[in-house]
Amino acid sequence: MLIRKLFRTAWNYKSQFISMIIMIAIGVGVFLGFNIEWKSLEADGYSYLEDTNYADFRLYAETGFTEEDIKAVQEIAGVEAATRYLAVNVGIKDTKKSLALNVSENYTVSTMLVMEGAEYDETSDGIWLSDKFAAANGIAIGDTLTTVYTGLEISGKVIGLVKSGEQMICVADENQLMPDYETFGFMYISPEKLEEALGFAFYPQINVISGLSKEELEEAVKDALGKTVQVLSKDVHVAYAGIKSEAEEGKTMGSILPVLFLAIAILTMITTMHRIAANEKVQIGTLKALGFRDSRILRHYTSYGFVIGLFGTLLGIALGYGIAGLIVSPTGMMSTYLDMPDWSLVMPGFCYPIIVFTIVILTFISFLSVKKMLKGTAADALRPYTPKAMKKSVFEKLPFWEKLPFGTKWNVRDIVRHKTRSAMTLVGVVGCMLLLVGGLGMKDTMAAFMDLLDNGISNYKTRINLADTSDNAAAMELAGKVDGDWQASLGISYEGKTITMEVHDEDQNKLRFLNEDNELVRLSDDGVYLCLRLKDTAEIGDMIEFSPYGSEETYQVRVAGYLRSLMSEAIIMTDTYADRVGIEYHIGAIFTDVESEEIESSAIISGKQDKDMIMDTYDSFMEIMNLMVWLFVVAAIVLGIVVLYNLGVMSYLERHRELATLKVLGFRDKHIGKLLISQNIWLTVLGVLIGLPGGVAVLYVLITSLVSEYELCLTLGVLTYSVSILVTFGVSLMVGLMVAKKNKKIDMVEALKGAE
Amino acid sequence: MSIVEFQNVTRIYKSGDHEQKALDNVNLTLEEGKFIVILGPSGAGKSTLLNMLGGLDSPTSGTITVNGKDISTLNQNELADYRASTVGFVFQFYNLIPTLTVLENVALVKEISKDPLDAKKMLSEVGLADHAQNFPAELSGGEQQRVSIARALAKNPKILLCDEPTGALDSETGVLVLKLLLSMARNYGKTIVAVTHNQNIAKMADVVIRVKNGKIKSYEEQEHPMSAEEVEW
Repeated sequence: MLIRKLFRTAWNYKSQFISMIIMIAIGVGVFLGFNIEWKSLEADGYSYLEDTNYADFRLYAETGFTEEDIKAVQEIAGVEAATRYLAVNVGIKDTKKSLALNVSENYTVSTMLVMEGAEYDETSDGIWLSDKFAAANGIAIGDTLTTVYTGLEISGKVIGLVKSGEQMICVADENQLMPDYETFGFMYISPEKLEEALGFAFYPQINVISGLSKEELEEAVKDALGKTVQVLSKDVHVAYAGIKSEAEEGKTMGSILPVLFLAIAILTMITTMHRIAANEKVQIGTLKALGFRDSRILRHYTSYGFVIGLFGTLLGIALGYGIAGLIVSPTGMMSTYLDMPDWSLVMPGFCYPIIVFTIVILTFISFLSVKKMLKGTAADALRPYTPKAMKKSVFEKLPFWEKLPFGTKWNVRDIVRHKTRSAMTLVGVVGCMLLLVGGLGMKDTMAAFMDLLDNGISNYKTRINLADTSDNAAAMELAGKVDGDWQASLGISYEGKTITMEVHDEDQNKLRFLNEDNELVRLSDDGVYLCLRLKDTAEIGDMIEFSPYGSEETYQVRVAGYLRSLMSEAIIMTDTYADRVGIEYHIGAIFTDVESEEIESSAIISGKQDKDMIMDTYDSFMEIMNLMVWLFVVAAIVLGIVVLYNLGVMSYLERHRELATLKVLGFRDKHIGKLLISQNIWLTVLGVLIGLPGGVAVLYVLITSLVSEYELCLTLGVLTYSVSILVTFGVSLMVGLMVAKKNKKIDMVEALKGAE
Repeated sequence: MSIVEFQNVTRIYKSGDHEQKALDNVNLTLEEGKFIVILGPSGAGKSTLLNMLGGLDSPTSGTITVNGKDISTLNQNELADYRASTVGFVFQFYNLIPTLTVLENVALVKEISKDPLDAKKMLSEVGLADHAQNFPAELSGGEQQRVSIARALAKNPKILLCDEPTGALDSETGVLVLKLLLSMARNYGKTIVAVTHNQNIAKMADVVIRVKNGKIKSYEEQEHPMSAEEVEW
């Protein structure tokens, strides 16, 4: 019988029940969504890397490794497998498209996964092409592909479509943010074919699978080869680092937003359950008077919280998988970034106890609410719930208090009297505002970042990438010919971190530089510049020390200033200063205004990219960003509506009798509606005032923790401010009107019966 | 002079297929300045009658004329204005706004009444000037009912409608409240219509109307109504 009562009561309080279920579903859903996301990325990504024998370490030697070298490395104790490897960017003949050419000499490390066509064969003459690149460019098995590498043509039939762990994030270089399979992909060929094309075997890389630490391997390699070579662990390789940073971002997202939502859900539960229990007090008393034991009544009412928790959590689990699926799936947001075969969703183990704990805590909240109503004798319980008697608040000591209109006094006192409800309303508005400012601000910040990148620092039309084998003299000659500036990048160890050192010839002003305030500055020749991420490591004028990666040599340089380095974490200097200090570098790129078609191919050029094409690769990144922003905006609106509506209805229920009295006295519906809405509006004003700076703080956390790989400048447009405020007020006003509409239906006669 | 006239007033409540006639073809005329008591058992229709008169409910058929105006066809806003200007209510459970002070509860009517009386003055007349700054919950039941009377009169209505005005009070307090209600209504020349099942209150009335099964059973003018002190409670 009591079960039947449970369902009927739930129906009576349907808007409260539904809104609590929605809040819990959102809280649990957002929590699970982001946590399933990062866990799935890790699980699917890492297992895929393992399946394709992804290398733990990469050894680099510009001049290439010999057969003796690889034998020596393979014999190092602790090395499970090693292969000589080539990964260079090659252009596709007569197009602006390019491919990363991969060759794994003995095919034990850094292998590929054949999705369609021929399995790997070390003597084959064919090409295994990235299946995504093939799909984006309408290339099928059997088609012929001709690529150009340092003036040499490598041509062959596509015999297989593949994926590869090494190319899981298929970008041309660190300047490319997101893969763009229309313009860049990868291919594998057999070592035999490589030798045939080049006329010799050239492997500037050895890929190693080993459980050794980086230091141990470095030592062992030094002993085995009799020289120091650069050893990079997978932590700095784009594929592994990419998954890791995406997973980290997911972890951050999985901890900031869900806490907000879950906290709101639980607080809403507390206020609502209290209200329901208060409304049910006479019924509770009746059951008690009828002879039901306290434990039985408690069980009955506690089951409300349990049912809400159960339904909310179940919906939340579904929503969580939905959100995770939006991100991690073959067509999801991550699919434009990661190229992997398996996208199954995995829930982290710690989520299970948290789900159970959520249900338990919600059940416990309703238990406590009912327990309070059961206190004392059956007669006590039968007496209707009376809210705390009104006391004067601090506001009434204000000199102008007496002059305030009655509506204002009424609302101020109501807010003070129902502190929890008012605080919850405020939390709802603040939450709505935080999400809007955070989400829209993220978009502004990224747009400003793109603008800086495109129109601020990139003052060139074409970027020429130089082959690893090119020499600096030839590079400088080419730069002179195309009126270009050149850049050399080098991995260095600084303060225990691996970062980039950039040497720039910037006479033509093709690449420009920004100071902290986003103003364009020219580099001086009397020191190095630290990017803003390194700002804390040294003052201007300090001498700092770094060493090129894999080298024993150290350099002492003076800090001349700080620069905003949009992309890489870098120490930047002019060629003049680098030469003065005696730093060795290899020129890697030239920036020019000459159109790419007009630049003759030569042995030193490994590829050419139009700036517009580089910028296009950001489009998919921006699409993901926009989707995230929409998620934030939708979440903000849902949160605002659900929280405010639920509390609005509660406020209405609590003041039902007062409203009926006003109506009987002769107040018009509109007048009463205004009273109700004005309270909402005040709380909204207050919420917006708190939410604005709060939103900026959330945005700050988002851009520092989520996009730590770039130096973003927190940017908020006037439009973001106004849209956030307008949407928040819109939500508040809409909900206010929805609640105010209810007062038309007040049955004055019914409401006036019985005592308060 | 008549101030209220019910002509063939019927009120039917429907719930599902079930119909209930709360008022059945009621014809009634009430004189201005009188203390009228409507008596009857529970469910007789007396509260429905009061609600119709107060503009809280409209008849299913028939007309109600108050102060020369037909109120049976008014819309919700017009009814609100009617309640604001023509009638004042005194309820069994006082119905004060808990978040407004005693003075504010009375002064509240300034928001809606075109011709309100001074709230402070009304409070002193009910003897609660000292409690002006208290909240309702800090007052006794009798005191709260006095505030409610002050509020009803402050609107300066033509008619004062009372629904079991002493129903929640002990008899001693009830007498005091009734005395006050009567003397103030007389001072300000108001018509009082009170609904009760307390026979004793009827002894004080100028007119006693008995209602049963939705019909007027009797209409009786009392030439010599008793004073509150004379009635045996």
